[in-house]
Amino acid sequence: MPMDKKKVKLRLENISQSYVVNNEVRDAVSNVSIDVYDNEFLVILGPGHCGKSVLLNIIGGLEKPVEGNKYIDGVKFTGSDKRIGMVFQRLALMPWKTVMGNVEFGPRLAGVDKATRRKIAQKYIDLVGLKGFEKAYPHQLSGGMKQRVGIARAYANSPEILLMDEPFGQLDAQTRIVMEEEIQRIWQQEKRTIIFVTNNIEEAVYLGDRIILLSKCPARVKQIYEINLPRPRNTMDPEFLRIRREVSENTDLAL
Amino acid sequence: MAQNTKTRSNQNNERIALIQKQRKRTQVQNTMLAASGILGFILIWQIAAVSGLVNSRYIAKPLEIVNLFIVKLTDPNPDGAVLGVNVMSSLAVSLSGFGLAVLIGVPLGLFMGWYRGFDSFMRPIFEIIRPIPPVSWIPLTIVWLGIGLKAKAIIVFFAAFVPCLINSYTGIKQTSEVLINVAKTCGASNFTIFRKVGIPSAMTLTFAGIKVAIGNAWATLVAAEMLAASSGLGYMILMGRQFGRVDLVILGIVVIGAIGLVISKLIDMLENKVLGWKKL
Amino acid sequence: MSRVKTAAMSSSERKAYYLNRLYMILPVISVLLLLLLWTTASLNSDFPSPVETWNRLIELFERPIKNKTIIGHTLASLTRVFLALAFNWTFGIAFGILIGWNKKCRALFTPLFNAFRAVPPLAWIPLITMWFGIGEFPKALTVIIGSIAAVVVNTQAGLSNVQQIYLDVGTMFNANVRQKLFQIAIPSALDAIFAGVRTSTSAAWMVVLAAEMLGAKSGVGFLITRGMDSMDMPLVLMSMAVIGIVGAMLAVVTQFAERLICPWTRKRSN
Repeated sequence: MPMDKKKVKLRLENISQSYVVNNEVRDAVSNVSIDVYDNEFLVILGPGHCGKSVLLNIIGGLEKPVEGNKYIDGVKFTGSDKRIGMVFQRLALMPWKTVMGNVEFGPRLAGVDKATRRKIAQKYIDLVGLKGFEKAYPHQLSGGMKQRVGIARAYANSPEILLMDEPFGQLDAQTRIVMEEEIQRIWQQEKRTIIFVTNNIEEAVYLGDRIILLSKCPARVKQIYEINLPRPRNTMDPEFLRIRREVSENTDLAL
Repeated sequence: MAQNTKTRSNQNNERIALIQKQRKRTQVQNTMLAASGILGFILIWQIAAVSGLVNSRYIAKPLEIVNLFIVKLTDPNPDGAVLGVNVMSSLAVSLSGFGLAVLIGVPLGLFMGWYRGFDSFMRPIFEIIRPIPPVSWIPLTIVWLGIGLKAKAIIVFFAAFVPCLINSYTGIKQTSEVLINVAKTCGASNFTIFRKVGIPSAMTLTFAGIKVAIGNAWATLVAAEMLAASSGLGYMILMGRQFGRVDLVILGIVVIGAIGLVISKLIDMLENKVLGWKKL
Repeated sequence: MSRVKTAAMSSSERKAYYLNRLYMILPVISVLLLLLLWTTASLNSDFPSPVETWNRLIELFERPIKNKTIIGHTLASLTRVFLALAFNWTFGIAFGILIGWNKKCRALFTPLFNAFRAVPPLAWIPLITMWFGIGEFPKALTVIIGSIAAVVVNTQAGLSNVQQIYLDVGTMFNANVRQKLFQIAIPSALDAIFAGVRTSTSAAWMVVLAAEMLGAKSGVGFLITRGMDSMDMPLVLMSMAVIGIVGAMLAVVTQFAERLICPWTRKRSN
């Protein structure tokens, strides 16, 4: 898709969030405005505890912002919306459900009949490469496989926008690289608008069409990078390394 | 700009005040709900007693219980002892049984959890005794020890002993391997590690076991006193039943419950003091 | 044979090998010692020996008490237990869910429930027998009172400690409150509820015994009192043994049921 025909899918307007902690108001997100384009892979990059997850929770409707508005396709919305799905950071798989049970959870809540939701779930289980594990329980799976279930579960609810909150943060380095390749493959096969939060610069440059760099607390938009490298990207490519260094030098260090 | 920050800080203050107000409101609301729960219960009780829906042979008015409580402080009738004597007698039994259970159960559990040979020797005996409910020891203890303090204390002991042993056993089994290895590299002997690493790490669970144990002790005491005693609160209830004095039975239940509550509160306080380091 | 096996081992391996054998033999020794102790204790007193206790069991089959053999009495006790548990596992769990899920209900009922719970179950027996006599209903009621707290407390704890992230998943999938309760909160609390079921089962078994000892015409608790009243010590010991065995079996059965119903709790590392 040519980049000049960009259509805004999700618009955040002047989003601010703060909390009252010990009788003091603490700012977490300050005046963030972002446009997310249709079927774009957007990475939100920022130091630890800078309010990235808060921003994602606000988009997903898990938190209500103090100020600001959200729009999908130019129409304002509040709270959670079924056009938005989420892959959680901590493995929020239901331990009492099998892989199939977890993946079909969304359609089931939506009241989809059993045969249809089985078919949907099976499609995404196959897509994430878990064919044959439908009857396994989460505790029988490795960390990478659990995260695949998480991705399949989010996809199965057929959202238009997918939020990913540091999904690979707790995986070991090798698995992480594999999963980064996988999420790219899955996204290219089933295009969605993805908003991917991470604190890992290499991951951000490897995955993102654009990177939104946030400042440290409270989170503000510090810089936006467009990355036009062809996929799959080579992490040793000089251009890749140059962008990586540029982002790296601009990133705030967190304590 | 200065004005801008000022309005903002004003806004913040308003927000804090609002949140505090809300918090206070829920607190008041919860207290009201709790009080109305208890009051509602007493009201239903009163209505049942006054309206004659329930025969007065079977129920006493709440106020009559309070009256009886005052009378019973000085009047030994009909069970032969004033309330204070009954309470002291019950406390003596349950505390001696409970104390014995802690003194024997906790060290036994710690040693069994640490030394494998001792464990494999003691375990089967414990597993044989464990499923036998304490109450069923009553006939044997009566035959062996009569119906005095010792017999009842033994029954209470059986009830309190099991949680003491199981929890200290599990607690010391869960000692972190890392801590043990640290101690080993410092050249500590097995017994020193047991004393300095094993026992402290087992303390949290042991305390939880002691808490369960004292609850068990107090609960079993009633059974012991109903089946083999000539004084104490359990005996008082039983006598109330035999003389058809429903008020005495209810008073006994209330007093037993109240003392049980006080004991568990005391243990909670003690736990907070001893295991203060647990809370960061 | 064992020499051949140990010959190829290093000295520390050999030590571990012999220690392991010792650990296997020790339990046998301790049980034998216990039996020996029991037998010697019975030699010079009227305390029954293991053999006499066993014989008493056989005799009970030949000459039933109140028309019931030991099986009949055990079944009588078990019936009372299961009547009470059936009530507790429905009403108790429902009440636990109510006060675990709804904060207002929790505030309303918690103090009342705590006060009720502070009274030992056996203390209710005199009041219950005054009200309802000594039939089957008062006994079942006693067992209900004695074992409902465990179910309610565990269910309530399970439901009020549902991890927020699971509820967040529900929010992301647009679950309504009912779906959050039935599809997320209750399943995630199932292991806590099951802990309550297990505790309540063993508590019920203990309470039924006490209730029967205080006045009944059947049941294992009745057998104990009967033995005590007629100075039939073998009967007392035999009943105790049966009670212990049935109690242990109940524990095994509930554990098995838990594994069957909640297979995911078997091994959860985190």
